[in-house]
Amino acid sequence: MRKTRLTAIFAVLLLALASVAVAGCGGGGDSTSSGGGGGETSSESGGGEPLSVGSDIPYPPFEQGKPGNYTGFDIELMEAIAEKMGREAEFQDTSFETIFRDVAQGKFEAVISAATITEEREQAVDFSNPYYLSEQAVLVKEGSDIKTLKDLDGKTVAAQQGTTGLELAKEELGGSEIRPYPEGPDAVNALKAGTVEGVIIDAPVAQNAVEKSGGVEIAEKVPTEETYGIAVAQGETELLEEINKALKEVEQEGTYKTIYEKWFHLEPPKEIESETHEAE
Amino acid sequence: MSEFFHQYFDFTVMGDHFSEVLEGFFKNLLLFAVVVLLALLWGLILALIRQLPGKKFAPLRFLTIAYIDVLRAIPILIILLLISGGIPYLEFIPKDIRIPHWFGQPDPFWYSVLGLTMVYGAYMAEVYRAGIEAVPGGQFEAARSLGMSYGKAMRHVVVPQAVTKIPAPMLNEMISLLKDTTLASVVALGEAVLVSREILAESFNSSAVILAGAMFLVITLPAARLVDVLIKRNQAKVTRGAHIEVG
Amino acid sequence: MAEPMIRLEGIHKRFGALEVLKGVDLHVAKGEVVCILGPSGSGKSTFLRCVNLLEPPEQGDIYIEGNDICKGPGSGSGEQSWKLDFVRQRVGIVFQQFNLFPHKTALQNVTLAQEKVLGRSSQEARAKATELLERVGLGDKLGQYPERLSGGQQQRVAIARALAMDPHVMLFDEVTSALDPELVKEVLDTMRELAAEGMTMIVVTHELGFAREVADRVIFMDGGVIVEEGPPADVLENPREERTKQFLGLVLGTS
Repeated sequence: MRKTRLTAIFAVLLLALASVAVAGCGGGGDSTSSGGGGGETSSESGGGEPLSVGSDIPYPPFEQGKPGNYTGFDIELMEAIAEKMGREAEFQDTSFETIFRDVAQGKFEAVISAATITEEREQAVDFSNPYYLSEQAVLVKEGSDIKTLKDLDGKTVAAQQGTTGLELAKEELGGSEIRPYPEGPDAVNALKAGTVEGVIIDAPVAQNAVEKSGGVEIAEKVPTEETYGIAVAQGETELLEEINKALKEVEQEGTYKTIYEKWFHLEPPKEIESETHEAE
Repeated sequence: MSEFFHQYFDFTVMGDHFSEVLEGFFKNLLLFAVVVLLALLWGLILALIRQLPGKKFAPLRFLTIAYIDVLRAIPILIILLLISGGIPYLEFIPKDIRIPHWFGQPDPFWYSVLGLTMVYGAYMAEVYRAGIEAVPGGQFEAARSLGMSYGKAMRHVVVPQAVTKIPAPMLNEMISLLKDTTLASVVALGEAVLVSREILAESFNSSAVILAGAMFLVITLPAARLVDVLIKRNQAKVTRGAHIEVG
Repeated sequence: MAEPMIRLEGIHKRFGALEVLKGVDLHVAKGEVVCILGPSGSGKSTFLRCVNLLEPPEQGDIYIEGNDICKGPGSGSGEQSWKLDFVRQRVGIVFQQFNLFPHKTALQNVTLAQEKVLGRSSQEARAKATELLERVGLGDKLGQYPERLSGGQQQRVAIARALAMDPHVMLFDEVTSALDPELVKEVLDTMRELAAEGMTMIVVTHELGFAREVADRVIFMDGGVIVEEGPPADVLENPREERTKQFLGLVLGTS
């Protein structure tokens, strides 16, 4: 009598676990089609084959939001590009330090993640034409007396792992203690908490932090003339051509301008629309 | 397949970055050393408070049990994030203590010390408790009947016996602790895992991560064997038969 | 009439909802040897453990050499309401499981409490311990650890350990029940000598032979009360109560 009751309980538990597992796998997981921004209800773009895109989320204002509901400059731009290609963008949250290796290995087809085009990275991936002109910013606490990058020498500085901001910090601030955080927002939080005195991070992200989270200000902008590109695996020349073509179309029809102004409250610089990039 | 080996077992990458990863690993060891001492002590205190008899001490016992249960239940990662994210905001604590930079180690180190000590103190308290409870109750009764106070009975009769049952499980906890020092990477402590991930980001190669793993293996594997030896030895002692256990 | 060595009156003890002792009285005179018999569950061991407050009674009075052991109302519950030290320094106990300290030698077992509780110097304690261990026939086993000793030897060490505190009363809780039969005699002999030397003893036992020869008084307990008591010849040979007869019948194997 007791044995059958135990087995019954066991069976129920097993069933519950199995259904949870199924729900977890089937439902959402990480790769979903983003809900799009603004008024769009569903992303019924050109339909067609999904385009898997890796991105390190969150990194506002380039990518943010929750699975199924990602939004941001990169997200919207990529959706527009995919539509032009007759495909539908599906985003996958990935940690930044493995993202280039991942696309090189085919985990997804493309990467859009506020990723600066660098020589080192080009050893692993190929980049599209630049789609954004950026620079680094020195983010400090409001009212801090740190006014320049050099003022941070000897102090504690934070940056995100694997970013050009971290590289800049290592290059210019030899005497400082540099703390790499797994996510950009973690570095900003450390600044607000007071455990670090400055953050070196992409200028638009810094600006976003100033506006959205408050309590911080930009001390100095460091023009690094870095440009962001969409990354694909090396040798994917056809895909890259398609992306570049689509990007051009998005720019020419004015969609690029709309998205840019929405997220940065500025007009896009003329240079970006004409820059090209030769894959090496 | 060769791509796999290149990604994970590229010895050139390992060679180039060996000293960096080793330096990071020393941070793990240092963190381990500090926490192990503090947690052994804190765990003992918790265990002794938990054993205090009588109605008078019931609230203290209850608090201790609650602490031990809660700290063992919450994932260590969450505790570390809460500590490093929350403590700096406790403005009533003076800055030197709130954001410590002691003995050349930055605040992520000390936040990790705090978090790991809080958690492992709880785990070790349970090891002590098991050791104490493994001492037959008659020992305590005999000591008390001879006129010894609670404290003297614990000190001279119970704890010396409990101590022999403790090394094996305690060593297990310590192995866990060494591995858990890697959690400090999320609060940006430059330990082996963080360093190897940085190298991964720069070189697009994961070999440094394997290297870090190997450094841990060098210590944890022999330690795990030692635990087995200790357990076997203890069991032999028990079955050799000390006194008659008739119900 | 001289004040009895021990007086217990109206002892009640419960474990949770179960009442184990339902009002037990006992007077023991100095030098008297009282044996308590009874079936398991009768409460006899619990009663013995009340005497040295290992099981503090919920209700009842205890007097040792005329002194009221109860601390009075408002002094807390459980052990705290009794004068623990007073009792434990005058009452020694030997357990069924010996409970020798395995991490100490035979000698150290006997000296430990002398030093830590009575504050005797290590020389004093050692001298006394040696004397006692020789008295129980273990003079050659001073440096041995309990795991090297037979059950009977361990129990004799336990007796010496209790005696080292110079108790006025010795309690024995079924001290031979855990021993192999051939080892029982040596322990009973030791107890016999102790009785002959005039020690006040309360002995819970199944050894009817011992009770018959050594006890001044035999008590039969059942169901948490004393059913019958009297000289051994009376209780053991001619029990009055039905329950006593039944119990003895079972133990002796007669109908």
